[in-house]
Amino acid sequence: MTEQPRSPSWSRRILGEVLLRWGARLGLAWIALLTLVAVFAPLLANTHPLLVEDAEGWHSPMLTHLTPADTALLGAFFLALVLLFSPGAPLWRFLSWLGGLALIGALSLVLVSPPALVVYEQYREAEARGEYQRVVRAPIPYSAKDYLRDYADTGLESPRSSAERLHWFGTDENGADVLSRMIHATRIALSIGFIATGIALVIGVILGGLMGYFSGIVDIIGMRLVEIFEAIPTLFLLLTFVAFFGRSLYLMMLIIGLTSWSGYARYVRAEFLRLRQQDFVQGAIASGLSLPSILFRHMLPNGMAPILVAASFGVASAILAEATLSFLGLGLVDDPSWGQMLNQAVQSSTFNWWMAAFPGGAIFLTVFAYNLIGEALRDAVDPHSQSGRSAPPVKAAA
Amino acid sequence: MITYILRRLLLMVPTLLGITVVVFVVMAAAPGGISALSLVEGQNLEPQAKKALEDYYNRLYGLDQPAPVQFGRWLNNISPVGFAQDDTGALTGWPMFKTPDLGLSFRYGRPVTDLISERLPITLLLNVLSIPLIYVVAIAVGVRAATRRGQAFDTQAGVVLLGLWSIPTMLAGVLMIGFLASDQFWQWFPTGGLSRRAALDMPFLPQAEFWWTLPALLALGFLAASAFVVFSVRAGRSLRAGAGLLLGGWAGLAMAQDLDAVQSLAGLVLGGVAGAGIGALLGRSEWLALRIGLFGFAGMLIGFKTAGWLFSGGVASGFLLDRMWHLVLPVVCLSYGGLAFLAKLSRSAVLENLTADYARTARAKGVGERDVLWRHVFRNSLLPLITVSATLLPSLLAGSVIVEAIFSIEGMGKLAVEAVQTRDRELVLSITLISGLLTLAGYLLADLAYAIVDPRVSYD
Repeated sequence: MTEQPRSPSWSRRILGEVLLRWGARLGLAWIALLTLVAVFAPLLANTHPLLVEDAEGWHSPMLTHLTPADTALLGAFFLALVLLFSPGAPLWRFLSWLGGLALIGALSLVLVSPPALVVYEQYREAEARGEYQRVVRAPIPYSAKDYLRDYADTGLESPRSSAERLHWFGTDENGADVLSRMIHATRIALSIGFIATGIALVIGVILGGLMGYFSGIVDIIGMRLVEIFEAIPTLFLLLTFVAFFGRSLYLMMLIIGLTSWSGYARYVRAEFLRLRQQDFVQGAIASGLSLPSILFRHMLPNGMAPILVAASFGVASAILAEATLSFLGLGLVDDPSWGQMLNQAVQSSTFNWWMAAFPGGAIFLTVFAYNLIGEALRDAVDPHSQSGRSAPPVKAAA
Repeated sequence: MITYILRRLLLMVPTLLGITVVVFVVMAAAPGGISALSLVEGQNLEPQAKKALEDYYNRLYGLDQPAPVQFGRWLNNISPVGFAQDDTGALTGWPMFKTPDLGLSFRYGRPVTDLISERLPITLLLNVLSIPLIYVVAIAVGVRAATRRGQAFDTQAGVVLLGLWSIPTMLAGVLMIGFLASDQFWQWFPTGGLSRRAALDMPFLPQAEFWWTLPALLALGFLAASAFVVFSVRAGRSLRAGAGLLLGGWAGLAMAQDLDAVQSLAGLVLGGVAGAGIGALLGRSEWLALRIGLFGFAGMLIGFKTAGWLFSGGVASGFLLDRMWHLVLPVVCLSYGGLAFLAKLSRSAVLENLTADYARTARAKGVGERDVLWRHVFRNSLLPLITVSATLLPSLLAGSVIVEAIFSIEGMGKLAVEAVQTRDRELVLSITLISGLLTLAGYLLADLAYAIVDPRVSYD
């Protein structure tokens, strides 16, 4: 074998190959767009005007009605932007982002207190009375929970049907703007995907790592546990969890994470069983490193590739799981979510296509985007596809 | 082989026990959990009546006992060997064998065994119909994509299959019901259920006033279908495209006309043009199986339409046809996801074998490409498809939860949702047990099939 010239680092090459594929590029673009929409949701769809000039001068009802979640998201986003263009090691920057995130979250919880009672009609009525000299409204001047009570009969309007109120995607049965609800629901969809997969990854990596590293009796017991969690239909376990523990977003994330770790544990176990025989691991053991150091600093980075592939498919299935639960009427009660909107489309006696097509289309596009990214990652990671002769074997299960 | 099966069956027991423990712990650990109070709550009763009802439930199901004792009692009830009990729940002895009892459902007040034996066949019917459909289409698409690696069909199929895999079942079901079953668009299929009320009283097979009507109907449909199939095989490319153009345009016009909402000229023109375009495209296609399927289907429809118009009236659809008509949408909804997944899998399996040494040897000694593909490569590519069939069943069972909720089919999936929503302990545990058993049986069957297909694998 001849000496190869030094190639760019492995992770850089993977990244380059992923970005080369147009599918992954489109998928990433869609996720980026959703992230922007989720962060700037109060600026995009809000009944509270962005700026108002009345007898007291300029003021912004939008700012005073921001919730702690809104400010925390905005803060985290701008912190991420700043850190992205600042020097330093990626790990250090990521850690400082996490620290900043915790700080911003705590600060917004303490400092930001929007008024408890929200009267959405006041602005429209004040404007009709001519109290405002100038008003700057959001592009979609309806909040997610603004049921337009000041108008008579606004439920289930088809898109762009009424002359005086413009609803791009129509209204739902309560009279709320569908597009506005969808914009505010992007937060749930994105966060549930990331956090649930994160939880599942942590459990799966720790259990799978221990199983693969120790093998023997630990492996046998662990594999029984994995088998148990694989033999219960995940959806059924989820249903049981949610029905018995009540409905909350955080609980739902936790539960989806708790029920979907078994696949990751399998992958990590297989990787670690292979790695533990290799010289560098034996060397690490011989030099007396601690167990966490061997597992997570030496073995894990070398076994990360198949886990990453599984994780990006996992995000897609977590989003699907949330949508399914909401669709079956076990989701969040008042907060908008895409699955719950799809459920509303079934509940009404007539078929209103805009209630099904738009939220359902959003779920589809997001899941499709994650699957495209996962597919591209797998092709990039897989040594078979790089040789260019044989096919990439399909590894992920449905 | 026998010892292997026995060992696997014995190993199922701890797994099944673990599954029920997990689900029971979830129920018992929940706030409110399973108690007589949660069953009585919400009923508008006098305090005394409420107390009496609570006591009754406690006595009947032993709900006032600690959770481990409750679980122990449940295990004792379902196992064929164990303690015998009298009516008050006291243990009376240790007979060698007793009949396993899944208990009474809280909500229905009926034996769980009855409920499940009513619902399980319906869900199994859906799944049994879906699996062959999934395999046939997936293999056809996968093999074609693999033999044309890197060509237009391969890339297009890749994107379309990934897209199909990403469509949430809820969305597909809701759109299908909305567009194909509601009276606002095309009312081709029923909106839900498994049969019309009237069809339950009908004879099983279709019946007609005169004995010759049904054979004539069938003959006409068959004749038209075979004529179209022959045409699709024999005719040249431009001729097929022309026929596709005509058929598609006609179908598009007919569909546009059915919409009472869009009775405008623009709708008709749009429908016609879109239909004609799709028809011409499909007619031009070089894929024989697709052409035969499409033209055959169109011919059959035309044959039946003509027959129905010739001898109108006097035909009762019968139970079977009605059931099939109700099953079309649910089965399509249940199968497209697994189909996409399996087609991708069979593509990569075939592709891997096409470049294998034995395939090259076969080509080198002069075996035709068709024989290489179907007699050598395809047989070896079946192995991963068989392995996956084990994971297909659990995902189909999960899918039927959604499909049954959308199409209001009274199957196991719907029963499961109702059971967890009403906190019906016995029902939840039994459904867990049975779906776990089905899943594990699926794994075992797949492993056995693997040994039969691949002589290198032996379990002795």
